[in-house]
Amino acid sequence: MIENVQNISVESLLRYVHDMLFNGYRFITATSVDNGDGTVDVLYHFDKDLEMKHLRITVNKQEEIPSISGIYFGAVLVENEMKELFGLNIKNIVIDYGGHMLLSDDELEAPMARQITIINKDKGGVPQ
Amino acid sequence: MSNKTVIPFGPQHPVLPEPLQLKLVMQDERIVEAIPAIGYVHRGLEKLTETKEFTQNVFVIERICGICSFKHALAYCQGMESLMGIEVPDRARFLRVIWGELHRMHSHLLWLGLLADAFGFESLFMQVWRDREKVMDIMEETAGSRVIISTNQIGGTRRDIAPEMLAKIDSVVNEVKEDVERVEKVFCNDYTVKHRMVGIGVLSKENAKLWGAVGPMARGSGIAEDVRTLGYAAYNELDLEPVVETDGDCYARMKVRLREVYQSVDLIRQAIAKIPDGPIHVPEKGNPNGEVISRVEQPRGEALYYMRANGSKTLDRLRVRTPTFANIPALLKMLPGHQLADVPILILTIDPCISCTER
Repeated sequence: MIENVQNISVESLLRYVHDMLFNGYRFITATSVDNGDGTVDVLYHFDKDLEMKHLRITVNKQEEIPSISGIYFGAVLVENEMKELFGLNIKNIVIDYGGHMLLSDDELEAPMARQITIINKDKGGVPQ
Repeated sequence: MSNKTVIPFGPQHPVLPEPLQLKLVMQDERIVEAIPAIGYVHRGLEKLTETKEFTQNVFVIERICGICSFKHALAYCQGMESLMGIEVPDRARFLRVIWGELHRMHSHLLWLGLLADAFGFESLFMQVWRDREKVMDIMEETAGSRVIISTNQIGGTRRDIAPEMLAKIDSVVNEVKEDVERVEKVFCNDYTVKHRMVGIGVLSKENAKLWGAVGPMARGSGIAEDVRTLGYAAYNELDLEPVVETDGDCYARMKVRLREVYQSVDLIRQAIAKIPDGPIHVPEKGNPNGEVISRVEQPRGEALYYMRANGSKTLDRLRVRTPTFANIPALLKMLPGHQLADVPILILTIDPCISCTER
């Protein structure tokens, strides 16, 4: 269980992130998790004096997400990574690689998004 | 006003042990802007962990980076232990400190050698790496391998260290400390070394926080933060103060790492003096369920692990944020205004690990 998680809407993301900056929080990173139902959780992790706070938004895969890199420049790499590996529609990243920061042109699109179900035959074909 | 030119720095460069490219926008000899190009060693390890059983993942995680492999495994195991409610035996907690600090020592000594090599001081490079070999030998004697030692497992450690070996480690790390004290004079006082580093790549305390710098890079700018002070493993039972310098330049970052070698020696000796007898491992039962965050202080700074489990043997998600990933944005902001000749030392003083960054 993660403590200090606040569920917020996409529309209010930039306002909350501005508040974090105003209150002296350091941006650690962001994490995206494919929920497997067409939605993705994006967690933004912050730290102040080694105490963490997290903001969570849940978005549909094609939904537009505003970039926070204009507020915290440190978000520039992780937002490009989420855009590339999860196919998230993140807009206005300060340095935007256009989905080609890590992968070459001929790689699978959004490889971290849930696309493959692995069937373990030893366990009666139950998806793992 | 002259035209701007773009000079590609890397991906292959004598100062970079791993491939990283910076596109440097130059005006004469001055940098105006730096844009990174990464992706040369991306292996998709986070995705791979979703296909392996959670106990097997320890071996995948260790291969994110050779230099801090133990710390990666530690962060993962601590997260899993927290999810599964496992209480690690006391002896294993102290063993984790000993191996963890040995890793910090060998990482910092490796870096100091690379730094000496970067400014052309070959004999200094050889001396520091000779000292590092003593630490690597301890790894081999205690774990059977020098780099990826695989001594962590969920619930404790895979190996124990015998009392005679602990006494030997105590003596060897003290010997390494004396060796480093000798070379420290060169690193800190040599005219050429200071000329290359003092006042170069200054990162203020405010900017270090704003751009998310971590580890020796943040502590070199006066931020007294070290995740070890949260007290994971057995750090809560040891005397530990973050090593801090305030000048924020390349020289300050070098001094932080030098002093952290001494700090690691001190922590290892404290741990050896306090380590209790007892078991080193408790078996895990069932499968993990829920989500958790685990943080450790690697040699290069804070690493964050996020894990989400669903009650089965495989994880839904494992996310790793490594320290170099956090330090690259600050590097990009530091480079403008510097001369092209300063770039190698400036990049080196963030101690970049590209394998960690790309995973």
